[in-house]
Amino acid sequence: MPELVKLTIDGKEIEVPAGTLVINAARQVGIEIPAFCYYEGLALQAACRMCLVEVEKAPKLLTACTLPVAKDMIVRTETPQVAAARKGMLEFLLANHPLDCPVCDKGGECELQDMTFRYGAGESRFSEEKQHIEEQQWSPVVFFDRPRCILCFRCVRICNEGMGVAALGVINRGARSEIAPNKGDHLECDECGMCIDICPVGALTSGIYRYKTRPWEMEYAGTICTHCADGCKTTLSVRNGRVIRGNNRDHSGINGEFLCVKGRYAFDFLEHPERLHQPLVRRGVELQHASWKEAVALVAAKFNEVRERGGAFGVIGSARTTNEENFYLQKFARSWLNTNNIDHRRSGDVVALLDALAGLPGSLATTADVYHAGAVLIVGADLAQQHPLLSFQVRANVRHHGARVYVVHPHPQREDKVAAQVVRARGLAGIGQIREKLAGEQSLVVLFGEHIQGADVRRLVEMLPATARYVALVDYANSRGALDMGLLPDLLPGYQPAPAPGLSLQEMVGASLDVLWVVGANPLQGRARASGFLVVQELFLTETARQADVVFPAAAAYEKTGSFTNVCGEVQRLKKGPAVAGPKTDLEIMGLLARQMGHELAPPLPEAVFEEIRRSVAGYNIPYATFVTGAASATQYPNGPIARQGSSELIRSARDTLFTSGTLGRYCSVLNSVRERDLVRVEE
Amino acid sequence: MASKVQEIIGAASAIAKGMSVTLGEMLSPTITEGYPDEPVRFEQRYRGLHVLERDENGLEKCVACFLCAAACPSNCIYIEAAENTAQQRISAGERYAAVYNIDYNRCIFCGYCVEACPTDAITHGHGFELASYDTASLVYRKERLLAPRP
Repeated sequence: MPELVKLTIDGKEIEVPAGTLVINAARQVGIEIPAFCYYEGLALQAACRMCLVEVEKAPKLLTACTLPVAKDMIVRTETPQVAAARKGMLEFLLANHPLDCPVCDKGGECELQDMTFRYGAGESRFSEEKQHIEEQQWSPVVFFDRPRCILCFRCVRICNEGMGVAALGVINRGARSEIAPNKGDHLECDECGMCIDICPVGALTSGIYRYKTRPWEMEYAGTICTHCADGCKTTLSVRNGRVIRGNNRDHSGINGEFLCVKGRYAFDFLEHPERLHQPLVRRGVELQHASWKEAVALVAAKFNEVRERGGAFGVIGSARTTNEENFYLQKFARSWLNTNNIDHRRSGDVVALLDALAGLPGSLATTADVYHAGAVLIVGADLAQQHPLLSFQVRANVRHHGARVYVVHPHPQREDKVAAQVVRARGLAGIGQIREKLAGEQSLVVLFGEHIQGADVRRLVEMLPATARYVALVDYANSRGALDMGLLPDLLPGYQPAPAPGLSLQEMVGASLDVLWVVGANPLQGRARASGFLVVQELFLTETARQADVVFPAAAAYEKTGSFTNVCGEVQRLKKGPAVAGPKTDLEIMGLLARQMGHELAPPLPEAVFEEIRRSVAGYNIPYATFVTGAASATQYPNGPIARQGSSELIRSARDTLFTSGTLGRYCSVLNSVRERDLVRVEE
Repeated sequence: MASKVQEIIGAASAIAKGMSVTLGEMLSPTITEGYPDEPVRFEQRYRGLHVLERDENGLEKCVACFLCAAACPSNCIYIEAAENTAQQRISAGERYAAVYNIDYNRCIFCGYCVEACPTDAITHGHGFELASYDTASLVYRKERLLAPRP
């Protein structure tokens, strides 16, 4: 604990830890010191000179954003001299800043507007004409308007320090300084849009939100991103039932303001022209539109008929449906269809990890742990491509706490740049080379991908110190939740052993079952169906849906309430963004089928099912208040051996990059429009 | 006798005085509006039906900044913005109003929208004949609000 320093700001006495900056000390006593270039978590710049304050015994005004507190310092932030300095700085900033606020997309949420309103002069004294430079488009999602730029360098710092991409830079010096992209006239980067959101003015604007609406015209729904497994909170801005943009300006959620290209822009699949809005039923050889009533009656009759004669069912769930839906689906299958033939596409060996951690409670790392740990070991995963938030957390940890990063991967990774040691080898063999170093790490977080699975997971846990915490990396938004909810042939929810193991996904797609029921997955990509009757719940007519007998149009995660469990096992709440006409949520569809079949399952309401999950699934008894207020709650694991039955199979990651997202990614025109899509790949 | 004469003169002068006012008013210009037989005359600042103005080149002045909708106390303005292209230029700025509706069921003619407009695109015209049996017809679209091309 650093010692406390006493100082006075505007007559208020305050004690803060030594090393605190005056601007932050002032915030603690409710005094706002205006600043553009200061940004929490990024390197100090002192470029904008807005935070000038008067310090007793200092000859000139000082920048509060670079000034650490000192003993008995007396700071004044509201003197006439300070007010004049702020007014003067704003006058300079506005010298060539065009007053095209009515056109500018930042209007209404612009920091320069707000500052000028509070501290600026009413009129400009410049009579010279402003220099106009045409707006440039740097990528499908990034536009740059040079005259609007106030050179705070926030974008340069977030791109370099935060993202580790360094695609933006400053060229020239002094008054001729300007922000420039890495490829001359365009950007080749992560297209994450962090620079756009961090820009205090409208210099960097989004191509997706371009000239669409205004911030006060939209409604906001903070939900969880439907793409990768990191579970970032994205706030969808909705107008007239359409998602206009995604961002996280209120810094809520485990990700703060961080979002990658998928969380920020990849919501346009919702309005893809090929989106299904009506159930489809196969009549003869063709799939034809049908009413919900007809389609539900048809499937329910078939299910009942096969059930009564004891026929074989197969159920394939999804890594993108909610916990509630997955729980309901496995319950439906096990208690009513009398089958354990239930599985989903597995992408990381979470089960082996939880088994290996039996007797080691508290050994799963949370997203926050990745930021606070003293050391991070990354094995067999391209973190920057597959887990952008964890990658961001690792870089922030190195920057703020000097964490030591170890990378074990046969191919170069972005994390190599911040790594203390890089091992170009695969899996355990690579870890063996740095075993002594890792043994000395008292606070180690291990992030491992598909290179370590099966028996290797236990060997990994035995190799590393007992204090190490782990994350088994998985692919999609609710991959972890699907495992927890028992979408497995041999394990019930909470990893309890099933009485008799069923068929796995690979076995089901090859077996000639009487009914195959696929909820939100595409297992028949590139292969023909072998089952008698195929029912698919999907957003689009995928390769699997095309072969189906009945297709139900399903709602996307952005159109649902419910919960997701992220890669670190943290449960977060989904909030419904836009309402959709036609499709129904998977839970509703299952409820309709149950009712039509004459079976009384729990009511298909997300709240009711979640309550049942909290009561009955081990580890999910999370505080309700935390859940409903939109915060993340870490789940507990069984902390006992997990009895696996049948053969453990090969687990493969889909190896999505930043610009792909499984089936969903194929229907995101934004992801498909960026040129980097063809340049990056995740090495095996 | 004298008093009788005086009384007659007094009455006559009173009549004459009264009639002079009447006759004088009969000859002065009328202030009663002849509406609907004659067109109505308005004060310059009368706040009637809105007009979306055009500039001297015939381009729309509105850049869809949404400030009128933000200022509107009865929430009767609905806008959808879009971007001008080189092929299709609607307004002088980079953006224009693809949809601009005013709901005259709700408009209270306060004039805040006109005050808020940074480009002088929306003004009050003198139109006032708004009575209708059908409230749906009182939502005016941009095409109805736009000033004719110069």
